[in-house]
Amino acid sequence: MEAAKKFAAIDPQVYENEFSKPIHKVGMITCGLAIIGMFLPPVWLYLQYGVFPPISAIMVGMGLALTYAVPFFIIEPISYYPTLGDAGTYMSFLAGNISNMRLPCAAVAQSVAGVEEGTKEGELIATVGIAISIWLSIIAVFIGAVATGFFVQFFPAWLQDAFKKFLLPAVFGAVFGQFALRGMKYAPIALVLALVPLFLKWKAYVVIPIAVFGTIIIGRFIYQATKKSA
Amino acid sequence: MDWKQIANEPWIWISGAILSAIALYQCTYFMIRALNIMKRCGLQRRDIISIIRGSVITSFGPVMSEIFIMIALVMALSAGFAWQREGAAVGSVFTELVQASNAAVGAGQEFGGKNFDMKGFANVVFVMNVSCIGWLIAAGFFTRYLGAARNKIAGGDIRWLSILTVCATLGVFGYWASSSLVRGGGITVAVIAGGILSMFFFLLADWIKKPGLKEWALGLAMFGGMIIGKLYAG
Repeated sequence: MEAAKKFAAIDPQVYENEFSKPIHKVGMITCGLAIIGMFLPPVWLYLQYGVFPPISAIMVGMGLALTYAVPFFIIEPISYYPTLGDAGTYMSFLAGNISNMRLPCAAVAQSVAGVEEGTKEGELIATVGIAISIWLSIIAVFIGAVATGFFVQFFPAWLQDAFKKFLLPAVFGAVFGQFALRGMKYAPIALVLALVPLFLKWKAYVVIPIAVFGTIIIGRFIYQATKKSA
Repeated sequence: MDWKQIANEPWIWISGAILSAIALYQCTYFMIRALNIMKRCGLQRRDIISIIRGSVITSFGPVMSEIFIMIALVMALSAGFAWQREGAAVGSVFTELVQASNAAVGAGQEFGGKNFDMKGFANVVFVMNVSCIGWLIAAGFFTRYLGAARNKIAGGDIRWLSILTVCATLGVFGYWASSSLVRGGGITVAVIAGGILSMFFFLLADWIKKPGLKEWALGLAMFGGMIIGKLYAG
């Protein structure tokens, strides 16, 4: 709280010229570079090893991936924006781990400085908090990847077998369980919409859009019905 | 050459380093800009140190749980690929695994299955990287409009936005959980155990008022479900 008292009001013109304008410019350029950077691995794989997936595989794979991701492209930036601010949004969507790391760091930094989110002071403080968390996480992930990559070879055979066969089912169950808690009304719908076509032996690229969009549409009906009765 | 070997060669480590360098440049530039203005407005060095200390302490738990969960990505793909996707990218480990599974389906294969080969791997590399560009486009080109967009898109109903994301996630993970459920044996046990353990740890965190446990809940449920599935299968 002591910091807040010493934090004099920021001149809007100074803020605009020395913070807002440059961060929008650099934010756009760096996000643009990252977009190009995302194409680097598949292009490099092709150039060095001559391997590129068939167009049909890309179309189906991208279709399924986007079925899941597109709602988040729109909703996440909008939802997180009030806490993250402009600079925080650029940084967080480039570095990832938003809900578990960037948002808490922004909130803690603002709390330590005694400033409110949505204010100019709040945005500056959140910027520092998020930037520190990005440095820390990138260094730690690098060390973690190198160390884990080294140690996994010493895992006993039964553990390696467990990873190979049972890790993914456990991940799917765990994430479904987490979100079921956040939407108990909607979880059974998602399961039924997926299980019935699966029993009918329909292909995954048909069943996934049915499960995703079906759950959203029925969820919307339930939400509106609940809202009206409330 | 085996795809597992290619997946850990220098090309993927360097690709990850380039993305991380972009993220580090961006955040350092923003931080310097913010610090310059804050100093001019009277924020003292000790206050800045307090902010930095708070951020480091807050990041520590999530970073540790991230590394713990990253073992899954290292085992499923490779250490280099885990670094490329988690160093500075957009998706969590869980999102990455489900997108890898989607990409393998596109190649007519099962991710991590016996038929998963170089064609499947190449599709995983393409789809996992390119499918997350939407977040970068949204942030890079629309950040300045987000405040206004928030009010317009939600139509004043912000709560529906969060329910929509829950429904979309339940839909996609509902499919992948169901596809494991119908396979029987240890795989069915693993998916059920993972789900129950996840719910248990999240509820436990609320009951005992230890929110920090939530950072570990998914990782613990994931490894717990995996081990229980293996023990059941023998």
